[in-house]
Amino acid sequence: MLFHSWPFIIFFLIAYPVYLALKKTRFGIFWLLAASYFFYGWINPLYLILILYSTSVDYFSAARMEKSSHRKMWLIVSVVNNVGLLGFFKYAGFIVDNLNALLGSLDIGYEIAPPGLLLPVGISFYIFQSMSYTIDFYRGNIPREKSFVKYAAFVSLFPRLLMGPIERAKNLLPQLNQTPAVTWSDIADGLSLFVVGLFKKVALADYLKLYVDRIYDSPEQFQSPALILATFLFAWQIYFDFSGYTDMARGIARTMGFRLMLNFKNPYLATGLGDFWSRWHISLSSWFKDYLYIPLGGNRKGRFNTYRNMFLTMIISGLWHGAAWTFVIWGLVHAIGRFMTREMERTEFYKEKVPKLVKQLFVFCFVCFAWIFFRAESIQDAWLIIKRIFTSGFANPYCPILALVLIFAAWLYQFMYESRIKRLLELKPVRITIVVLMIFYLAVFAPSSEQAFIYMRF
Amino acid sequence: MTSNKVPFSSNSIRLSVGQWVIVGIICIVSLFLSPALWERIEKFSPGQNFRIPYDLSNDYWLYKRYCKFVGSQSRILVIGDSVIWGHFVPRDKTLSNYLNETTGSEQFVNLGLDGVHPAAMEGLLRYYGKDITNKNIILHFNPLWMSSPKQDLQGEKEFVFNHPKLVAQFIPKIPCYKASFSTRISAVFRRHVVLPNLLSHIKITYFQNSDIPAWTMENPYKNPLKALTFNIPDADLYEKKESTSHRQNNAARNGFQWVATETSFQWSRFRETVQLLQKRGSRVFVLVGPFNEHMLEGVNLESYRYLKKDIESQLLDNDIDYYAPPALPAELYIDASHPTSEGYALLAQQLCENEAFESFVLKSKTD
Repeated sequence: MLFHSWPFIIFFLIAYPVYLALKKTRFGIFWLLAASYFFYGWINPLYLILILYSTSVDYFSAARMEKSSHRKMWLIVSVVNNVGLLGFFKYAGFIVDNLNALLGSLDIGYEIAPPGLLLPVGISFYIFQSMSYTIDFYRGNIPREKSFVKYAAFVSLFPRLLMGPIERAKNLLPQLNQTPAVTWSDIADGLSLFVVGLFKKVALADYLKLYVDRIYDSPEQFQSPALILATFLFAWQIYFDFSGYTDMARGIARTMGFRLMLNFKNPYLATGLGDFWSRWHISLSSWFKDYLYIPLGGNRKGRFNTYRNMFLTMIISGLWHGAAWTFVIWGLVHAIGRFMTREMERTEFYKEKVPKLVKQLFVFCFVCFAWIFFRAESIQDAWLIIKRIFTSGFANPYCPILALVLIFAAWLYQFMYESRIKRLLELKPVRITIVVLMIFYLAVFAPSSEQAFIYMRF
Repeated sequence: MTSNKVPFSSNSIRLSVGQWVIVGIICIVSLFLSPALWERIEKFSPGQNFRIPYDLSNDYWLYKRYCKFVGSQSRILVIGDSVIWGHFVPRDKTLSNYLNETTGSEQFVNLGLDGVHPAAMEGLLRYYGKDITNKNIILHFNPLWMSSPKQDLQGEKEFVFNHPKLVAQFIPKIPCYKASFSTRISAVFRRHVVLPNLLSHIKITYFQNSDIPAWTMENPYKNPLKALTFNIPDADLYEKKESTSHRQNNAARNGFQWVATETSFQWSRFRETVQLLQKRGSRVFVLVGPFNEHMLEGVNLESYRYLKKDIESQLLDNDIDYYAPPALPAELYIDASHPTSEGYALLAQQLCENEAFESFVLKSKTD
C-alpha cells in the first residue's frame, strides 16, 4: 500500500484508533504486529512467510547467543541466513545472468535457467534492520528483546517496513517497550512531516519523473541539453521520492508516538562526498559504516586501508541498491568521489579558499554524474548518455519551466534553512503559508494517478 | 541515539496544533467557497441548441452546472446518450432542435451526454443532476445497450466502457468492471465532494483533459495559470459537421444477442433512473429507440420486437408515458441507433404526432 492511496487511508483509519485504545494494554503490541503484517501481506501474502522466517531466525539466534558459549556461531547463523536470503531473492537472477554471459563468452553451450523469483518488497530494509539487532546484541550494545512479539513488531513496524529508515534496536525497541504517550503535539508533528513528505512525493517527484522517463527511456533520441536536464531532474526526483517517503513514514510513526531516525538532511548542500553520505539515506550509510566499514578496519590502519575499506563499502552499498552492474559502478563512482573530496579537503586551498557554494556545486554535479549510472537501464545506456552529453550538440530540451522553478524553490528553501536567515523560515506566518500553499498545490496540480516509490524496488 | 534526541526534520515546516487548526480552517473554507467562487468568475452562457461539448463529456461538474442552469427554467429536458446528443450531426440538427422547430418553440433542451449508457446515466443524474427537480423530462432509452451481454455489462471478461466513474462502484457488482479499489473509492469520493469535480473540470476544460503536470510536458514554456481563461470554450469550437462517412454497412446481421428485460442490468438501471426522476418531482416521458431494425432479420428481428413489446408493456404497467416509434426508413440511419439529421427531423415529427407525447407537452405548459 502506498501511503497516499485509498487502501492505506482506510487501513490507517482502522488500525490507528484501535492502536491508541490498546497501546497501554498487553494487546497493543499484538495489534501493532497484526496491523504491520496485514500491511505487508496486502502486497503479497507470501511475503509474510519470509519476514516471519527471517524474524524468527534472528530472534532465536540472539536467544541462543545469550545462553550459549558459541556466541559467534549464532551470529554467523544470523548473518549467513540474512545475507543468504538477500542473495537468493535479490541477486540470484543477476548471478545467473552473469554466469550465463561467462559461459557464452567461453563458447560453452550450456545455460543456467533463470530463477524467475519475485523480489519481496522491503526485504533489503527489514533484513538489514533485523541483522543490526543480532550484531548489536553480539557486541553487547543492547539487551536481548525477550518478547518475540515485540521483536517481530520492531522488524515489521509498518510505517518503515517498505523503505526504511533502517532503524537500530537501541532506538526503536525501547519505544516499543515503553509505548510512549501520544500527545496532540505528536499528532501535529506527524501531520507536518506527512504533508511535507506527500508534497515532495506527489507534487515534485512524480512530476519530475514525467520528463526523466521520457528522456532516459530513449536517450539516443535526445541531445545534450535534454540529457543534462533529465539527469539534473532525476537527482531531485530521487531525492524528493525517497525523502518524501521517509517523511511520510516518520510522520505516521510520530502520530503513533514513535520517533524514527532522520534519513535525509538536505544532501545537495553537501560540501564533500563524505558530507553527502552523512546527509543521504543516513540510516543505510550509518549501517554500512557501523557494520562493514568499521569492522573492516575503518580509517584506523593507514590511508591505503582506509580507502580500500571505503571502496569496498561503497561498492557493496551500490550493490545493495540493485542487482545490476550499473549500481556497482554507481557505488564505485561514489567511492572515487569520496577519495577525491577527502584528498582535496586535506589541502588548505580547498578548505579555506574555495567558497562553500562552489564546493556544493561541485559535489552536486559529481553526484548528478553518478546518478546517470543509477538511473540508466544498462551500462551501455549510461555510457551512451555520457557520450551524448558531450558530443551531441544543442537542441531544444523542452523541459518544463515549472519543474525548474519548483526545484529552485526547494533548493532555495534548503539553502536558507542552513544559513543565517533560517529564522525567517521559522516565523509562524511563513510556516503556515508554506503548508497552505503545499496543500493547495497538491489539490490542484497533483497528477491523478499514484506512482510507486523508486526505492521500493530495492 | 535515544528517541528523545532524534532530530525532528531537516526543515522548519513544523506546525503546532493551533497552527494546524488555522490551516484546517483555511482549507475547509476554501473547499466550500472555491466552487461557488469559480462559478461566479467563470463565464457560462449556454445559448440556443447548446449541448455539452464532445471533448467535455467526462466533465461532470460542467454537466451539473448545465443542469443547474436549465433547472431554473421552465423547459422540457431531453436526456439520453449520443442519440439525443447527436453524435453524427451538428448541434442544430439534433432531436431537441427539431422538436423546437416542429413545435415552433424553444422549450426543448438537449441534455444528452455522448456515450452515457443507462447504468452511467443513473449515476450522472443521481449525483450530478440534483438540480433537476420538478421538471418535464423526455428520457431516451437506446435498446442498443441490451443488444448483447457485453453491452449490458454482464460479461465476466474486463470491458472498458464509457463513463466508468458514474456506474455503481461496489453494489451492485458489475462483473466486467475491474477497476482497482483505489479507483472505485476515488469515484465514490468525488460524488460527494465538490472540489475534486471542479479540479477535474479545470483539467478537462483548460488543459485538454491532461493532468496539469502532463500538460506542462506538452507545453513546457507556457504558464499553466495563463491557460485558465475562465471561459468555457464555445460549443462551436467542438462542432461536428454532419458525418455520413461513419455510415456502417446497414445490411442485416445476426450478431445481436438481445438480453431479456428480466435479466438486463442496463434496463434495471434505466428503470431506477425513471424512479429517481419521479421521486424528485419530475414528469418523465420515455422515448424508446427507434433502433435500426433494417439491420436485423430472422430470429434476431423477432427477438428485438419481442423485447420492444416487453419494454412497452413494462412502461405501461408502471404508468410511464412513452412512445416507441417504428423504425425510420433505412436511409435515415447512420448506424444501429443514430439517425441522420433527416432522421431526427422525422422522429421529431412522429413524436409531435403521438397522442401521449402531445398530452405530455401540453401538460408541461400548464405546470
